[in-house]
Amino acid sequence: LRCQLSPPQRALRTSAVLRRVSEEQKEPLASSSQQQFDSHPTDPRPEQEPQGPRPSYTGQGGQESEDYESEEQLQHRILTAALEFVPEHGWTAEAIAEGAKTLGLSVAAAGMFHSDGSELVLHFVSQCNTKLSELLEQEQKQVQLGEAEKKPTEQFLRDAVEARLRMLIPYIEKWPQALSILLLPHNIPASLNLLTSMIDDIWHYAGDQSTDFNWYTRRAVLTGVYNTTELVMMQDSSPDFEDTWRFLENRVADAVNMGNTANQVQSTGEAVVQGLMGAAVTVSN
Amino acid sequence: PAGGVSLRLCSTRVTLEGINKPLIERIIRVDHAGEYGANRIYAGQMAVLGRSSVGPIIRQMWNQEKDHLKKFNELMVAYRVRPTVLLPFWNVAGFVLGAGSALLGKKGAMACTVAVEESISDHYNSQIRALMEDPEKYKDLLQVF
Repeated sequence: LRCQLSPPQRALRTSAVLRRVSEEQKEPLASSSQQQFDSHPTDPRPEQEPQGPRPSYTGQGGQESEDYESEEQLQHRILTAALEFVPEHGWTAEAIAEGAKTLGLSVAAAGMFHSDGSELVLHFVSQCNTKLSELLEQEQKQVQLGEAEKKPTEQFLRDAVEARLRMLIPYIEKWPQALSILLLPHNIPASLNLLTSMIDDIWHYAGDQSTDFNWYTRRAVLTGVYNTTELVMMQDSSPDFEDTWRFLENRVADAVNMGNTANQVQSTGEAVVQGLMGAAVTVSN
Repeated sequence: PAGGVSLRLCSTRVTLEGINKPLIERIIRVDHAGEYGANRIYAGQMAVLGRSSVGPIIRQMWNQEKDHLKKFNELMVAYRVRPTVLLPFWNVAGFVLGAGSALLGKKGAMACTVAVEESISDHYNSQIRALMEDPEKYKDLLQVF
């Protein structure tokens, strides 16, 4: 008789998700699990602690122990597991189903998500953005502690964009598919949100403190740089994407140049206006 | 928060625990725009009445506004709030209002100033009321007011 003990899985609020293990624990009492032990004297499971009431399948009793995992956390775990299968299956429900399988859940768990793989792509992008933020935070700490030199803005932006784009390399074959998913109308709010907060993060760590319209121009320019570089990367077949990084270097240099030129134009304009005012005063006297 | 997707995606922005970020962002953005506009109004008035007898008074009030604007600039950076996209508009509109009211004479300029200050103080009072719902959380911001 196979031991009917369920692996230490967290209870799920979603009743639609089916488990491989058929036995359901309707009576979340420590004593019932003890009874199971008694019937299998040759099969001691020392790791099965008879802790407090296990949250039941249907949420009866309503108690939340530390074991309780929210639906959202479970979804995150499934999607993270699914990423491994993206190179093979693409950003699809199949990949999600495979991911669910590795966690010991039934493939029907993929039914929790949209069939077009939207959540998988958005989850991945969100994860990459978080990793980038952590990386930039680390770098900032190192500079503050004096362990590293503060990079000039141009190089900082280049390195940040490169670091973020490198996270796509394992999935580069299927990335065009992901981009088209991100552009679906119902995904645009979420994907735009992720893009803008990522760009804002990069500028924040680059030390941008503008409180005027520059705030917008800088972010718009960097967004343009990021998007075009991403597209170039899709078509790049050079070793370690060196063409892409060279493209990036040129675009960032252009952007910084544009900023300098704009400043120059402005100060020239101001000088001209002052000259005219002076001339007007002279003439009027 | 994502649109139609059922997952809540974690934002990369650092969240300051417990505070109502959208509320703070709106407050700082609006107040910054207001102070910026006020600065431009005084600049417009100075352009017309700068060399008259009220010039020094206007300049003094303008300097006060510059301080306020500086304070909001600092808050904006600290809370990572974006400035209003209408800044170029307020730039021009404020200057025109200031210059226009100054062209009506000294009384016109003063009347404009009084009106602006009154509406600002009403506005700030309602913001203070909103923040006072939880004085502890918003201690820093309330001190600015």
